[in-house]
Amino acid sequence: MNSLRIARSALRARPAAIKAPLLRRGYAEVVSDKIKLSLALPHQSVYKSQDVVQVNIPAESGEMGVLANHVPSIEQLKPGLVEVIEESGGSKQFFLSGGFAIVQPNSELSINAVEGFPLEDFSIESVRSQISEAQKIAGGSGSEQDIAEAKIELEVLESLQAVLK
Amino acid sequence: MAFAWKASGLTYNKYLSVAARVVRRSLKDDKRLAAERRGESELRMAKWNNGKQGEHQNVAEANAASMAEAAGSPAS
Repeated sequence: MNSLRIARSALRARPAAIKAPLLRRGYAEVVSDKIKLSLALPHQSVYKSQDVVQVNIPAESGEMGVLANHVPSIEQLKPGLVEVIEESGGSKQFFLSGGFAIVQPNSELSINAVEGFPLEDFSIESVRSQISEAQKIAGGSGSEQDIAEAKIELEVLESLQAVLK
Repeated sequence: MAFAWKASGLTYNKYLSVAARVVRRSLKDDKRLAAERRGESELRMAKWNNGKQGEHQNVAEANAASMAEAAGSPAS
């Protein structure tokens, strides 16, 4: 009889103890719909954990747009255009020379690249002249490495030419 | 994923540095001059064998030679 009473009071006491932490919800727990972007180059950090709405990246597996709460992943980037849509609604475009984008579980996106510049910093004339130069080397009779390098350059330059138009 | 540069013996590091170099060269003149300095490297190394120091060589040149050697062999 005595043990039954203890059991009953335990039953009554437990649900309250379990429910209390679950029901508590502060402002800090409200899920943000922004993604924290860090865009880092070896010599400069362009974005430092800044809240943005969306980032479009040229992954090797295809173009992708990253929003908040994206599934965690690691993507190798092609040399190409990264577009950042900021909180104010405006968007910024950077041409990166290739690197990696890492989506972390807590809505954080880290992009690492060797070189990255806003589009207005590029000169279309120098891109064109380099394309014809690289084509000459790629079709020439240089060493296998020279030809491979020229083909990499062509890939980058053609991607650059396409976005500068 | 199969990359054409890999078959020629180039490493990913080399691929990145070539891509970065060509991006720097495509900049407008004022930005280009400041950026191109970042591509230069002057690292030298020597291989030690049986307690004797080998010949000094430029790391970039040594890398190029080893990449030429790796050409054609399946990427490991």
